[in-house]
Formats: sequence, C-alpha cells, structure tokens
Amino acid sequence: MDFIWHIIAITCMTIPHALAYNLVFGKGKILHFGPIGVSLVASYAVVIIAISTGSFIAATLVGLISVVLLSLFLAWLSLRLDQDAFGVMTIAVHLSILAVILNWNGLTRGALGIPGVPRFSFLSSVQSFAIAAAVVSLLFVIALRLIDRSSFGRQLQALAEHEWHAKSLGINRTKVHVIAFLVAGLGALATALLFPQYLAFLHPNDYQYPFLVFFITIIVAGNPGSVYGVLLSTILLTVLKEALRFLPLSSAVMGPVRLILFGIIMLAVVYWRRDTLFPKQRSI
Amino acid sequence: MALLELKDLSLTIDEHKILQGISFDVEEGQIIGLIGPNGSGKTTLFNVISGFLKSSGGSITLGGEDISSLSPSLRAKRGIGRVFQNFGIFRDMTLEENILVALEALPKDQQKELGDLKEVVAGTLDMVGLSDSGKKKAGSLSGGQMRLLEIARTLKAGKGLFLLDEPTAGVSPKMTGQVADIIKELKRSGKTVLIIEHDLPFIGSICDEVVVLDVGKVVLQGTPAEVKESKELKEIYFGADPTT
Ligand SMILES: Nc1ncnc2c1ncn2[C@@H]1O[C@H](COP(=O)(O)OP(=O)(O)OP(=O)(O)O)[C@@H](O)[C@H]1O
Ligand SMILES: [Mg+2]
Repeated sequence: MDFIWHIIAITCMTIPHALAYNLVFGKGKILHFGPIGVSLVASYAVVIIAISTGSFIAATLVGLISVVLLSLFLAWLSLRLDQDAFGVMTIAVHLSILAVILNWNGLTRGALGIPGVPRFSFLSSVQSFAIAAAVVSLLFVIALRLIDRSSFGRQLQALAEHEWHAKSLGINRTKVHVIAFLVAGLGALATALLFPQYLAFLHPNDYQYPFLVFFITIIVAGNPGSVYGVLLSTILLTVLKEALRFLPLSSAVMGPVRLILFGIIMLAVVYWRRDTLFPKQRSI
Repeated sequence: MALLELKDLSLTIDEHKILQGISFDVEEGQIIGLIGPNGSGKTTLFNVISGFLKSSGGSITLGGEDISSLSPSLRAKRGIGRVFQNFGIFRDMTLEENILVALEALPKDQQKELGDLKEVVAGTLDMVGLSDSGKKKAGSLSGGQMRLLEIARTLKAGKGLFLLDEPTAGVSPKMTGQVADIIKELKRSGKTVLIIEHDLPFIGSICDEVVVLDVGKVVLQGTPAEVKESKELKEIYFGADPTT
C-alpha cells in the first residue's frame, strides 16, 4: 500500500515542474535545456536556508527570489541568442550550477549531499506527502489550463510558430518570454519545496543530466504544449520509472538501463512526431 | 503632411547595398503600388518599414513621428499592419484564435474601442465567408482564404497603414478577384496601402500611384498610366529595347 502512496507522491511532485516547463519548451518551443539547473538552485536555496534559519517562510522566500533571478536571466538569454545557441547555453548553465554545487563544499557539502532536510510539520508520512503533492499538482493543472487558454497562451503560441508574424501584430516578445520563464521557475520551486523534504536528503546526483532527458521525454511524449497530454505522460513515465525498481537488477545496472530505456522512448516519440515537434520557420 | 515619409533610406548588409537612398511619401488614403524585378529590394523595404531590419541610414516618419528606432511590435501598435508574402497566418491555431491573437495584441484603449472581441472575431470571419470554420485549424485553409483572412484581420484590428507583400501570390485565379475586392474595401474605409505586386494590370486597376524599384533604388514614380507607358519600365523588365 505504501508503494502506491509513494508512486502518487513522486508523480505529483514531478507534475508542477513538468507542466510549468512544458509552457516554455512545449508550447513556446523555446529550446530551454536548463530546467534541472533551475531545480538545483531552487532546492539548494530552500534547503540551505531552511536548515540555517529553521524558518520555512524564509526558505520559501529565498527560494522564490533565487528562482525569479535565474528565470529572468534565462529569459534574457532566450531573447538575446538564436534558438540553437540558447539551447547549448542552457545546458552550460545547468552544468555550471551543478559544478558550483559540487565544489562549494562549505555551503552545499558538495558530492556528499545534505542529509536531514527538515520537513513541514504536516508532512510526516508518505501518505501526507502524496496528498499535499496532489493538491499542489491540481492547482498547477488548473493554473496552466487557464494560462493555456489566455491571451498570453495565444501570444506564446503565435511567437512559437512564427516570430516575425507574431511581432508584426504587436506582440511583445520580451514580456511573453519573461512571463513564461517565471511560470516555469515557479513550477521548479513547487517541486523543490516538496521533493528534498520527501527524501529527507538533498543530493546533487538527483539533478544530473539523465533527469533532463526524463523531462524532455515527458514533454515530447505528452505532445508538446498540451497540458493534459503532458500530465498523462508525467504520470505514465513516472510510474514506469518507479516500476523498474522491481526488476531484479543491481543498482549499478539499473541506472544505465533506465537511461537507455528513456533514451529509446524519447528517440521513438521524436521520430514519430518529427513533423510537428518543431515547426519549420517559413520564410517571409 | 503625408502619413508615411521615407527619407533617404539605405541598407547595407555585408558590403551589399540592398537599399540605396529610397525617398517617397505616402499620403493618407492612397494606394501605392511597389513594383520591380525579383531581388530589387521590395520585401526588404517592407522589412525596414516594419522594423525587422534596421536601416543603415535615413529616416521613417509615421504620422509625424520618427519611428526609425522603434521595435516591430511598437510599430505595429502605431498602426502598421503587415501582410506577408508567405501568409502571416498561424497554421496550428484555429481561425478564431488567429483573429483573437491580433486583437489582443492591440493597446488596451484600442481594444476597448472595439467592444466585445468575440463579436469582432465573428464579424471578421463573416467578412471573408468563413463563419462556419472558426474552430478549424488555419492550416486547412487554401492560400486565397488565408490571404483574405489575414487582410480582414488586419483591417478589423484597426491598422491605418497596410503593407501588402504580393497579396495575390499563392492565391488561385478564382480568388484573385476576391483579394482585389477586399483591397478596394481597404481604400473605401480610408486606409493607406503600400502594395507589392508583379501583376501589372492588377496594380493598374487599384493603385493611385506606382513606385518602381530597381537594384534598391527608386527609378520611377507616377500614375499607373504614366509608368506603364514609360521606356524605363520596359528597360528594367526586358533590358534596353532595341527598336527605340
Ligand atoms: N537579411 C539579408 N541578408 C542579406 N541579403 C539580403 C537580406 N535580405 C534581403 N537580401 C538581399 O536583398 C535583395 C533584395 O531582396 P528582396 O527580398 O527585398 O527582393 P524583392 O524585391 O522582394 O524580390 P521578390 O520579387 O523576389 O520578392 C536580394 O538580393 C536579397 O538576396
Ligand atoms: Mg519579395
């Protein structure tokens, strides 16, 4: 029974960030490969402040500020750089953040990770985590559906399909990108407030490159931009990921097996969706 | 005062002089045809006017305001409506969304003036005979339908200056007449139109004045009749005429 609650907890903790990231990468078709970098900053900010001050309010506030700053930086990059350069740059941003965290031992304990992450008082059991995460997920589903159908959603989609055509209508690309990246950042923060608490342990290995592959697979498999599609694929792929634990494999083999499996899933869906995934930018 | 004043516009990309000292005025309510051989810089001039390319020299004045340094979206908000050579319609969005997204990009006070946006959307669809297709993806439209929708959307969004880049390109001969009709409708509503076209009879039938571009320069300007009769036009399109 606990396993079911565990699956629900893990899935619902992934949903806020996955849905919010889908706004930028799926609907906006902005090649943002740095969502795990944002998660890292959010998680470490929240956990370090929670431990050092004992105040969750302070931790959430500092987490919010760092996520907003990083999101603004990413939005600024996305406006300055070409798509492909931006894609490479965001991978670099993720890896740089990881490198800082791994090496700033005094603050982050580096590769050792931070044990004993304090929990909100109402989060004492797996069940309570599952319920709290489900409530947060529900709020994100509702919010992102509303955003999807708002004028902002249409402007983001128009920019994704053809930047010049969108701008010639008077759409302000700067504003749209800033909002999209801020929403994505809030999703990362929501996940960061729950996930390390659930594990009671914050470890940089949970924020490595394979998690980016997992995230992108979720978006691509769920139909980029679709809120319900990505919701469904987050559920299915998280369940699949957790179910793999039941395979009689040693943990040394398990990691690569997972990675290969998700690589294959991603390859298959990208191939299947190759015509619609990224629209050809028509000439003017 | 002219609505649009182009003064000595030039554009050089990689030592390549694409526009060279282009100057002409467009009076409010006029329809001006812009013609010239392939690669003469017509589309580039539109890109400079709408702000996608920054001119290397010269100035653009719209309604008395120098807009040379404004971004494309700010120029759109000042009333420049662009109709693209390859259709500025978003094919993954429905027809309704295509119209709505243009209306929602207007400054707030202009949106208020329009009243209920849903009604404006319905009116726009009705204008181009697509009332039943509002929920369909725009990608399912024919070239002619997309063009009509794009022009109607720009009209309903209240733009004052229209930049039409080859509005009959990609449109079936059957629908060319409808495109001509909607452009005449623009004139009746007092809009100012700059139109790029290869089809000279078409230009002749709707324009007040024609500007001829060749290798990035204005080589001729006059009424359609004057331009049609001129020796220069024949030289540009067919080379020097050996019989004269
Ligand atoms: N961004 C750019 N960089 C370099 N060269 C450009 C650029 N834009 C246009 N050109 C060049 O400028 C010239 C004019 O092109 P433009 O598209 O304006 O011609 P046009 O008059 O619209 O032709 P057509 O009738 O074929 O549409 C061409 O030689 C083109 O290659
Ligand atoms: Mg052209």
